[in-house]
Parts: sequence; C-alpha cells; structure tokens
Amino acid sequence: MSTTPAQRYARQLPVWGEERQRRLARSRVLVAGVGGLGATVAQLLARAGVGRLYLVDGGTVAWPDLNRQTLYGEGDVGRAKLSVAAERLAAINSAVEVIPLAGRIDESFAVPSGIDVVADCLDNWPSRFALHRAATVGGWFVHGAVQGEQGQVLTLKAGTSESLERIFAGLAQASEPLPVTPDGAATIAGLMTNEISAVIGGMPKLLDRILVVGLGDFHCAFLEV
Amino acid sequence: MVRVSFYSLLRLLLKRETLSLSWTPGLDVRQLLTRVQAEIPTPFLDKLLDADGTLIPGTIILVDRHNIHHLGGLATPIADGATVALFPPGAGG
Repeated sequence: MSTTPAQRYARQLPVWGEERQRRLARSRVLVAGVGGLGATVAQLLARAGVGRLYLVDGGTVAWPDLNRQTLYGEGDVGRAKLSVAAERLAAINSAVEVIPLAGRIDESFAVPSGIDVVADCLDNWPSRFALHRAATVGGWFVHGAVQGEQGQVLTLKAGTSESLERIFAGLAQASEPLPVTPDGAATIAGLMTNEISAVIGGMPKLLDRILVVGLGDFHCAFLEV
Repeated sequence: MVRVSFYSLLRLLLKRETLSLSWTPGLDVRQLLTRVQAEIPTPFLDKLLDADGTLIPGTIILVDRHNIHHLGGLATPIADGATVALFPPGAGG
C-alpha cells in the first residue's frame, strides 16, 4: 500500500507548511545515541519525514532500557540497538533513509560529510564533548540530556557558539546509571525534535540558550550561554 | 545588586527561581554562596560544596553567562549588577 506525501503528512503540513516539509525531506540528521532520547528523536524525525538519518550507537537492548527507549520491546533484549532501530524506523516510514553507524563516540569519531544537524542524545559527558568537537563541519548541534524528571536542550552553531565542553566544564560523569523516567526522556526528546525541526526550517529557538525543563514542578526556564 | 538564579533540581528543592542580594566590594562566588544559604532556610550548600569547600562536580555556576571553571573558580569576583546561575544539568540520555 502506498501513499503520497500530501496524504502522509496531512496533519502536520497545516502547522509548518510545505516548504518546511521539503526542507525536512532534504535534510540529513545524525542521531548520536539511540537510547532514551535518541530512540524517540529518531522515531519522531522519521514520522516527520526527515530525508536521511544517521544513527550512532554501540549498545544492545537491555531490560532497564525498556522503560523509556521507545523503539524497543521485550523481544529485542540482547539485540543490537542499531539493528532494531533500523527495522522499526523502516517500518514507520520507508521513505526515510537510515544509515546505522556502529560504535561508541570518542576522539576518533568523525561526523560524516553533508550532515545538517547533529543531535546529541548521548549519556555521558566525555562522549558528548568528543561529539561536539567532531561536529565542526555540519554546522548545527542540538544537545539534549535528561536525569530523573529534569533535562535541558541547547542549540550550538559551529564557528559562533561556545563549545559544549566550555559551557559544561567541571562536570564529572556518575559511576552508576542515572535515574530517568519514561516521561522525562520523552519530554526532552520531544523538545529536541521540535528544535531540530526548527533548525532545519531556518528558525532555531535555542541558539546559545539552554531550555531547562523540570517535570517535578512543571518549571521551564531559559539560561543564556 | 546581584541576582542569583536557580535551575532544575535546585529550583525544585528551594522552591524559588531567583534571589537578589546586595553587592559588596570584593564579593566572590564562595562568599555569595554562603550569603545565599543564609537567606534561604532549605539547606543546599552541601549539594554544591564538599566538606573541604570544593565545588562538587554536578553543578555548573555561570557568572554573567561564563562558567566559573574558566574564570577563578569559587574565587571568581562578582561585579555589581552581575547575574549568577546555579545549574545542575541533566547528564543522561
């Protein structure tokens, strides 16, 4: 069964228009980390009709992932996240080209050429900093992180913005897995996807500006950096 | 005046968004934190500083948008009219 873009995207076109949809279809987004944030960001971008998704992850699906990593189910435990994610995303929107890149992000990582936006959905600061250092070519970098029911989203632009490492200097990674709720991860992932779409549309809302969100008291604040 | 803004878990813990304090000559970040704690009934300083008075990794402190890690750390001077942000960011994914 096939459809047309006008039919498939009929519910979002009235919101952001055909030009944004065309830009999305031409866009290449790298999603670094396909876990609590990345699985949902990748899924939402696929549903929105992004052109090409590069997925980077080296992990396998584990039971504690299932509370928030929306592309995976019980039958996937033990499988490589990239394989499952690629299958699910293809099933959601076969028009999206999905390119899995297996491995973890460290100093040796190179961002493929032609990337429009890098989405930082990683789970540790050293990898985040390495990713941002590598993301000097693509231009746009959308950072997201979540902990418990709190999180933040920030957009940086290569050449003009402060480095992620300078902004978040002095932080150390916890030695144990961090607590994350299903709704906390989904909220931050949704906000990240909204910002990625805005960047692609040429209207970023969080350039050099951290959006801090807490579900504990429904607070929302901005922090200029 | 110096305006201190609290974010994320600190805002949740302290149940307030900001605190304004009068500026005094020679004020630095360490002194400011002590004065903030004196104004707020909820203990929070132990979440920022360890027993030796060293900044615990887990919260960033920005003085006029700049992380004090690149300035003078807790000895960073604070100018009259400055804005200081205390932000324990999320770290997971």
